[in-house]
Amino acid sequence: MANILEMQNATKTYAGVPAFQDVTFSLEKGEVHAIVGENGAGKSTLTKVMAGVVTLNAGKMLLDGQEINPKTPDEARKLGIAMVFQENSLVPTMTAAQNLFLGQERGFNRIRRINIEAQQFFQSLQFDVEPVTVTSLLGAAKKQMVEIARAVKNNAKIIIFDEPTATLTPEEKLHFFVLIGHLKARGVTIIFISHALEEALQISDRITVLRDGKLILTDLTKNFDRRRIVQAMVGRDLSQTIYGQRKSNFRPSGRRVLEIRNLRMGGQVRSCSLSIFAGQVTGIFGLVGAGRTETFKIASGVMKRDFRRGGDILLDKKPVRYLVPAPAIQDGIAYITEDRKLEGFFETKSISENIYLGLLAKLRGKRKITSRKEADEVGQYWAKRLNIRTINTDVRAVELSGGNQQKAVIAKSLVQDPEIIIFDEPTRGVDVGAIEEIHKLINVLADEGKPVVVISSYLPEVMSLSDRILVFRQGKVVEEFSGEEATEEKIMYSAIH
Amino acid sequence: MIHFVTDWIERFRGQGEHAITIPVFDGALKPNRLLEDAETLADLPAPEDLATDGKTLFAADGHRVLQWDGSTFIERHRFDGVVTALCCLPDGGLAIAIDGRRVRVIGGSYAGAEWTSAAGRSFLSVNAISARGSAELLITEGSTNQPYENWCHDLMGRGSTGRLIQLDLSSRGSKELERNLQYAFGCIAAGDNVWVSETWKHRVVGVQSSAEGRVIVDWLPAYPCRMSRASDGGYWLSALAGRTQLVEFVLREHAYRKRMMKEIDPAYWIAPALNSGDDFLEPLQSAHVKMRGVLKPYAPPRSYGLVIRLDPAGLPVASFHSRLDGKNHGVVAAVELGNKLFVLAKGRRRILRMDVGAR
Repeated sequence: MANILEMQNATKTYAGVPAFQDVTFSLEKGEVHAIVGENGAGKSTLTKVMAGVVTLNAGKMLLDGQEINPKTPDEARKLGIAMVFQENSLVPTMTAAQNLFLGQERGFNRIRRINIEAQQFFQSLQFDVEPVTVTSLLGAAKKQMVEIARAVKNNAKIIIFDEPTATLTPEEKLHFFVLIGHLKARGVTIIFISHALEEALQISDRITVLRDGKLILTDLTKNFDRRRIVQAMVGRDLSQTIYGQRKSNFRPSGRRVLEIRNLRMGGQVRSCSLSIFAGQVTGIFGLVGAGRTETFKIASGVMKRDFRRGGDILLDKKPVRYLVPAPAIQDGIAYITEDRKLEGFFETKSISENIYLGLLAKLRGKRKITSRKEADEVGQYWAKRLNIRTINTDVRAVELSGGNQQKAVIAKSLVQDPEIIIFDEPTRGVDVGAIEEIHKLINVLADEGKPVVVISSYLPEVMSLSDRILVFRQGKVVEEFSGEEATEEKIMYSAIH
Repeated sequence: MIHFVTDWIERFRGQGEHAITIPVFDGALKPNRLLEDAETLADLPAPEDLATDGKTLFAADGHRVLQWDGSTFIERHRFDGVVTALCCLPDGGLAIAIDGRRVRVIGGSYAGAEWTSAAGRSFLSVNAISARGSAELLITEGSTNQPYENWCHDLMGRGSTGRLIQLDLSSRGSKELERNLQYAFGCIAAGDNVWVSETWKHRVVGVQSSAEGRVIVDWLPAYPCRMSRASDGGYWLSALAGRTQLVEFVLREHAYRKRMMKEIDPAYWIAPALNSGDDFLEPLQSAHVKMRGVLKPYAPPRSYGLVIRLDPAGLPVASFHSRLDGKNHGVVAAVELGNKLFVLAKGRRRILRMDVGAR
């Protein structure tokens, strides 16, 4: 099959540090090509070069045999290369339809025409998105749909998907895979970056593995299995699954630290009652929209419960009600968000500054003068402790890879020495190496006697980490499983039926 | 005044006492069927309490005290009233409460000692006895207004006259350690402290603790009662029934509650019970409990079977359940002997035996 795109000895450096180096890569016309690798391996940067977001420092890129060097995404789009980014790049104040037509506006735009065309287009893709809805009001899955629709709409020859399924439900993922099939049938070439190796194995024709900025391996998918990919990715032998084996020793419940009684918030949380105990990991599972995140956001002051008959929250037997997160932080509740880009850090601030801000939140009102030196020390300590891989701690958070960003967000909470730690999707968009490290950290926290909550949509993760599992459905806990009795089938049955 | 304002705000907002929330059976209290599946040791006509001296199991059954000989219960003592509490003493004697009105020692070096009152008030409902050291007894009296058998009347009457009393075996004296408890039912010496079950408040309190450390375990989803010592240094806590929102609601609706007590047969009150399911006139037999004729185990229980294992600090670490679809309900006593736990399910008039490490 003819190559549609080639990279020859391509190198991209940031401040002298290579993101990837001497990479020779080829993309065959009409194939689905998966690129896998740990965070920081250079996958995103490699594809950003193709999409015109960044340019090469050395080497060359050929499209249909012609050398190209797109300097802007618009230039790349005109060449037929579109990218759906890992973190969504929609304008939150615009409607889904306006986002779909962004950059392709005519001199005179009729909203009605845009809405009708958008509706037709979404329907042709079988995406259930209301075109007149403001994007900020859409859920993560629907935002992703708009992103994908936008790329498809540009009639690109090559579409690059960076972690497209991270925020999709299992049903939406299946739908997405069907869409990939349609695109492939139309001759579109697809690059697919994912940390979910099963997905890469399921839908791709070829797989390329990157490690530490170097291309390690490219081969047909049929020649790969999970173990081979993982070994190539990390250069070491991890356990059979990225989430580790099912644990057999379960920690007993300690004292009751957090208790939620009949919590209510609109239609999302409905008379939810649960307890969180010290010294164990409580896994929270449920489908998207089950009210898991909302329940714990209320407990940590990010959201507010109903004013009347909204229920009670007790922290160490004392009733608490937080209207904002600050008092919750001071009381020792650390909520580590699922949406790190929006809620987790200030992307233009350095790692040290972000982590130091976490400390200042805990010391609110007690620290009149902030210290640059202290910020550096705190940043360096936590970067070392959590193995945040970066040139130095002055690097802006936005420049880190997904896994390292996640570690920085975790450090920002752990610096507060919290009494209870709530991880919401702790390994979403994180590579296997970082997953292992984050899981190890979660276990260490529980072993230290802290109550740890892990909210996850990924069942193997819940199963491998949890000493106790609570299943959410329709805004409340519908089932509790002890570690011994939990099986994937039982949990999924409770979550659905 | 502040309480009134707080109460009014809570009433308006449906918070605190007015939320009528009950705790869920979660964590160590997660329901199972271990109590329901336990071996039935014996069915007795009127069992009331269990006790052990570390070698033998004793049971109070109506007017009798029985001893387990390894294969059957044999009668050891017979009295002129119902034995409402039983305790083995370190010197080989037995302390018993008769009709809830007298506490008497039989056998051992303090044989013949008897008490009928404490702090100037006659006993009416002595329901638990526990030994502290070799020369002291601790007893609980559920109510000074209602006799032993009328425990439910005390709950629905919102009684708070329970007492914890210390009896001195040498001097035959008595001392009231605590009063105005919302039904005292079960006590045990825990180090320098004395723990007592305050049943209607769903908690166990340490009466000789500071104010902060007074509550040992609270917000239980059931009505706690007698306690006994576990071999690992912890304790076994029995619970006579599970809480329901309906009962909590009725307890707050004073006019309804008073009228119900006045006009309805106590057997059909909306109140916790030691057993249920035998009479179709019982409350809670509607669609919320049964679906197509099948009892839902997770439905609100009128009666329930529960034994909780507490660690030495009073933290629940395990539990044994008989849910709504079970029969071994109304657990009022549990004692450990050898490697076995013996449980008295008064609602089914049954003594059960199970492995201590079953959970």
